Amino acid sequence: MEERGRRFLSSILLYSSADFRRGEIGVPLKRYKKYVSLLMFTAPAFLLYAVFLLIPTLGGMFYSFTDWNGLNKSYHFVGFANFAEALGEDSDFVHSLWFTLKYVVFMVVLQNAIALLLAVLIETRTRSKGFFRTVFFMPNMISIIISSFMWTFVFTQVLPQIAEKTALAFLDQSWIGNPSVSFYSILIVSLWNGVGYMLIIYLAALQGVPQHLKEAAVIDGASPFQRFLHVTVPMITHAITICFFLTLNGAFKVFEVVYGLTGGGPGRSTQVITLNIYEEAFSNNFRYGYASAKSVILFVMILIITFIQISVMKKREVEA
Amino acid sequence: MKALHQRQTIREVAIQMKKSWKSVLATVLAAALLAGCGANGGNSGGADSEAAASGSGGSGEAKNVTLKVFIGAPRFKEHFDKFIADFAAKEKAEKNINVSVQLEMPNPDNASQILKTRLASNDAPDIFALHAVNEIPSFYKAGYLEDLSDQPFVGKLLDSVKPSVTIDGKVVAVPLETLSWGYLYNKKIFADLGLTPPQTLTEMKAVVEKLKANNITPFLLSYKEAWIPQLFLPLAVGAIVNTENPDFIERMNKNEGSFSEMKAMFDIIDLVNANGTDKALEVGGDDGAAAFANGKAAMWVQGPWYAETILSANPDFEFGVAPLPINDNPDATMINLSTSTSLAVSPASKNKEVALDFINYVLDDKASNAFYQALKFNPVAKVHTFETYPWVNDAMAYVKEGKAYQDPSMPQSVKDEVGKGLQAYFAGQIGQDDVLSALDKAWKAFNKVNK
Repeated sequence: MEERGRRFLSSILLYSSADFRRGEIGVPLKRYKKYVSLLMFTAPAFLLYAVFLLIPTLGGMFYSFTDWNGLNKSYHFVGFANFAEALGEDSDFVHSLWFTLKYVVFMVVLQNAIALLLAVLIETRTRSKGFFRTVFFMPNMISIIISSFMWTFVFTQVLPQIAEKTALAFLDQSWIGNPSVSFYSILIVSLWNGVGYMLIIYLAALQGVPQHLKEAAVIDGASPFQRFLHVTVPMITHAITICFFLTLNGAFKVFEVVYGLTGGGPGRSTQVITLNIYEEAFSNNFRYGYASAKSVILFVMILIITFIQISVMKKREVEA
Repeated sequence: MKALHQRQTIREVAIQMKKSWKSVLATVLAAALLAGCGANGGNSGGADSEAAASGSGGSGEAKNVTLKVFIGAPRFKEHFDKFIADFAAKEKAEKNINVSVQLEMPNPDNASQILKTRLASNDAPDIFALHAVNEIPSFYKAGYLEDLSDQPFVGKLLDSVKPSVTIDGKVVAVPLETLSWGYLYNKKIFADLGLTPPQTLTEMKAVVEKLKANNITPFLLSYKEAWIPQLFLPLAVGAIVNTENPDFIERMNKNEGSFSEMKAMFDIIDLVNANGTDKALEVGGDDGAAAFANGKAAMWVQGPWYAETILSANPDFEFGVAPLPINDNPDATMINLSTSTSLAVSPASKNKEVALDFINYVLDDKASNAFYQALKFNPVAKVHTFETYPWVNDAMAYVKEGKAYQDPSMPQSVKDEVGKGLQAYFAGQIGQDDVLSALDKAWKAFNKVNK
């Protein structure tokens, strides 16, 4: 692969230097042309990306330094006042920050552990593999907001009924009304919805672990657990990196599950950062500028944490 | 020779046109693609109908006017379509103006958002709907509302409704939907036990005791959505402001008041919370309406806007609207009068004359009666003589006795805060003083932001 690439590169160099010698087209122009054609290919995607994501994002960053309220034609620059207020005086925001962090920790650990466990178990099956894969992936195909409405019904109607009919008294909880229980309700729905996707990634990675390595380990007398820990896990580190990245990223940005299940309540006890931002911009005092500042804080936080995560985990990846 | 030359030129031009057509087409396609992604569905027909309207001109001297109307209530589309057709016929007959109305009716959930975007991008509709109590102050301040004080319709408004669309002494909107509310009660349960709606807090306690003695849960609690416990605030503040503490809101706006003056509102809140149904924090509005319709409790602190949901759960259900007692002063037990959907005119409108005609036509002596009746709205003007629902009559009886007040104008952020605060209070996470100080903080923040 690498060899072919090198040959290709040198042929380009030869070709362009020939042009250069002939004095028709200079190297810089040729290179320039190459970039133009590359740009042309990416242009449609990049245009849409720029119009609908990049420009609004930059706009949001711009507004985070203003006191715009989303309606007035005029606004003032306030420097870093919004950021200082969010982190210094806004106890609701700080509370939502800690609540989100707690959620992130639980989600990253549980989602990956359960997905990996299920993937390993499914991999041991021979004929029912497809069936289990479909069953566990199914919840992922339902939109999160719908699944959280479904679960609201389960938590408020179905579980208390079951508790009444059977003797399982612990099912009769105030699942979404009691703040200490509702955290776990949110986790249950998020996991139910999110595990399937990670499961598919892990399954694909597990199938890529070379058979000969496993066989060699068997011959060396390694127990199944040792085989998993010392052969399988190192071989699927790249999948673990991706899954950690996705879960970390997704958990920080959690919105629909909480919105659908508890709405952040009772009070603000289950309010996550995104809900806090939403409330600030669209229902409280319509402080768009201030809400944008909070979004920028969230963005920077996710950026730093995922950057650290990727750079740490990339080092541990090995290839067969 | 000349002819040949001409033909050649024509061909050249044609070829050139073809070429330029291609590039124009490509540009238009690209633009349409982008615009199509960005614009909302309701607006996509806009450009066409405008072009059609200006193109069809030429019959006589009739003037063509396209009026853009924005109302976030798609469930009323049929009624508005008919009303607009009548209006167009009237304009044609009286002023020889061809009015084509471009009616935009987005989903109420994001209507306000779309409207704000429109206004901020100088693309204001000529006429738009907004929420009178919640949105008029900020829209007025931003300069998006035309002063309608000298319009003929103003004289027809009922005195009980007029203040809700008036700001700084100017009438800025025509009210469509008005609400008169306190709490709902199950008429059958009350009649069976020989009860009447209590006029004081002490009487309310007696009613609660009697209901409990008959194994009926007095109150239905549905606190899952924060706006429902929030309802206590307008009821309590409205009652107290209109009796013993008239300048409370004024002082709060100047950072001189405190909600500790309103601590008495917890008397009724505690009474309701202590005598309500189970698992209040898991019951939302719709579930609550169904439970109330099925007789799970005798009273529900809620407005008649749930009438449709209640009746669809139990079509034979009879309920009444009564004022909620806050304290032992019977004069403080009053109905809350509020206005929600109202129509305003944009000062930037290019067809202001027709827009004003339309606004006046909403309260037209002949057309208005049937229109409001079809929409199932309450009477707002002297021209409305139609028969209303029993629960509206209940409330109107109190209004006619003078036992009513205007919904107090409080910042939306304070209303949001009280909903969340009362949820947490009900869950036992915070105490009364925490709720009140959070409200003070929210109002101060509002003052700071809206200096």
